[in-house]
Amino acid sequence: MRQFFPVEDLARDERFVQTNMAERMKDGRTAIDVKESSAKSRGASKRLTPERHDASDAARGLMHGIMVGEIQALEGAGRTAHDFAAGDGTNDTVPFELKLDMARQAWDEARHVEISAKLSDWMGTELGEFAENTVLFEAACSNDPILRLAGVNRALEGLAIDVFTQMKEFGDVAGDPYLEFCEDWMLADEVTHVKMGSDWLRKVTANDPERRTKALEFQQVVDKLFSFGGARGESAESSFSLAKRFRELAGFTDDEVQTISQMDAEALEERKEAVRKYRERVGADV
Amino acid sequence: MTDTSQIESTARPPFAPWDRRDIPGSFSVDDTARRVGHYKWTEMKLFEALGGWVATVPELDVKMRLGTHCYHHAWHADLWHKRLPELREMKPERLTVPANAAMERFIEAMTEPEAPELTIEKLVGVYRVLIPRFIAAYTYHRNNTSEITDAPTIRSINFILQDEFDDWRDGEMLLQSLITTPDHVRRAAEHQATLEAIMVEAGGITGFDSIGTGTQPATTEGGA
Amino acid sequence: MSDLTTRAASPTSTAKVTVIPEEFTFVRYDAAEIASIVAELAEQLEIANPIRVVVDETTPLAKVYEEIDAASSDATITLHAESGALEDRKHPMSFSATGARESLGRVLLRAHDRMRSDFADAPGDLDLTLAENAAWDTYCSGRLARMGVETNQQRWRYNHRNRFGFDDGIDVAFDALWNADDLAWSDIVTTAGG
Repeated sequence: MRQFFPVEDLARDERFVQTNMAERMKDGRTAIDVKESSAKSRGASKRLTPERHDASDAARGLMHGIMVGEIQALEGAGRTAHDFAAGDGTNDTVPFELKLDMARQAWDEARHVEISAKLSDWMGTELGEFAENTVLFEAACSNDPILRLAGVNRALEGLAIDVFTQMKEFGDVAGDPYLEFCEDWMLADEVTHVKMGSDWLRKVTANDPERRTKALEFQQVVDKLFSFGGARGESAESSFSLAKRFRELAGFTDDEVQTISQMDAEALEERKEAVRKYRERVGADV
Repeated sequence: MTDTSQIESTARPPFAPWDRRDIPGSFSVDDTARRVGHYKWTEMKLFEALGGWVATVPELDVKMRLGTHCYHHAWHADLWHKRLPELREMKPERLTVPANAAMERFIEAMTEPEAPELTIEKLVGVYRVLIPRFIAAYTYHRNNTSEITDAPTIRSINFILQDEFDDWRDGEMLLQSLITTPDHVRRAAEHQATLEAIMVEAGGITGFDSIGTGTQPATTEGGA
Repeated sequence: MSDLTTRAASPTSTAKVTVIPEEFTFVRYDAAEIASIVAELAEQLEIANPIRVVVDETTPLAKVYEEIDAASSDATITLHAESGALEDRKHPMSFSATGARESLGRVLLRAHDRMRSDFADAPGDLDLTLAENAAWDTYCSGRLARMGVETNQQRWRYNHRNRFGFDDGIDVAFDALWNADDLAWSDIVTTAGG
């Protein structure tokens, strides 16, 4: 088996179709109001709540996104358990206990795939009904174990915390007996995973501040990518928000949360600008 | 003054009549440490393989089960990692080695299949060759070690054996659901035969003495 | 949005279907294909009214609604669809005939319902409450399924539960609406909540 596994080779059955961020960003459509002169968004708030007219279908789409995200997280954790030899943490090695934590995470993510598949069934979504964006595995799975921790355990699992919190609230308000229950169990696991990442990042780079700085910079890049053009953010134009309370439980500092929030807002404006430019280029009304 | 003739005696034999545990065991501290080092090495290789394979198999149910089993064997490796210092091995890495060169070759051969269409081969290596060998080695060890002096190892083996049986059943059922044509049967049998031949050369997970029936080879190979 | 229109009709249908825009910029849809699907549905429902299909391709959302300017057989039916309603969700920006048939079929059925006198008191699509919308979607989707249009019942059950509640009584109400035909607007409203 190869030491490192490329995203193009992620194995899927024929129901799944994969895409990536480059393809996604070619889409000139948007649900947000891109007119610079308008302060209002198009129609009602985009936040995923039962008040949205398309609440059920939006929840189904997000649940499918969660499921394929969990598949990639499972694959990522499994690869990290495999790819790096046990050692003292220098070069290409990781501490033995870190490998054990990654194996534990693989188990947790496998359960999350199971839960998401059951919930998809409950919500009337077929496996592979939506395109799968491989950005999660792609961005997170660096060949450097420390960057991988930053990408997977901080950025990707941090995103999971945000999304699960939104779905939990959605399920709670809608009175869904399973959704809120399941999302809360998954949330508990994700908080654990983020803490694993924070703790190991700190321990392994205790004597290598340069490596730690590089890891945190990488994490910020991935965090911005995982804003998905402002789909995550504090604005009413975003589908889900930063789950500040659960991120604090997981060990994110106030400064870190504030930085991510700012990047989400930047990502939203950048997306709007990209859409405006695309429309100008194709001669459509902005 | 207390009437001592009325005080009930608390002196009892140290072993209740139903407690038939005895001292003799087949393995010294050093023997046990050596075996435990081989167990740990092999459980590590197994959990690494299962974790690495998750991304390579397209079948969703198999993908998820590999993730779950990855953790089981990682936990087994951890139990053995913690047992080693208790057996006077303060540097666990020293004994975390394959039993011999053939065992190392076995793991290489078992983990060689990577392509997405080779799920049968991947599962056969684990669930029809390696895990049955684990069950055999652990059972032999548990039944032959001192129940009193080595109770901690027995306790770990009991927990681990429960996982091994459960995982073996999961894997076997997955295989039975995947092997549906004569060609599948042929592939499974051929791969199993290839791996079994190497395992026979290795003698088992802990070498020639894995289950007490082997004889010491004439030359000592690499490993412990 | 281009104000050019295209005309298409199925060989045996009498409905004239026009699609706006004629040419798509943001998505890879074909106006003629959309028109053909709607004409086929109209024929199945025996609708002879002129039909306009207006697709908003600037948004990936999937809202659909209909308007009919009078409850008569020569009134123009306008079907509005955000592009996501006609999209192949596995291949963004690509067209799904299955999805289009289901989305446009639903709102065409609504338009058909509105031509009945016992729907005179039904609010306009954009004035429906979320619960009324869900109830009507259930009623339309069940009939679409019986017409042979590919429909996911569990999707609509989940939608109905989200609006009316997660309990056995609501599931019974959903089944009743799903399997019903020939209902008045008031029947839909009273059946939906169990």
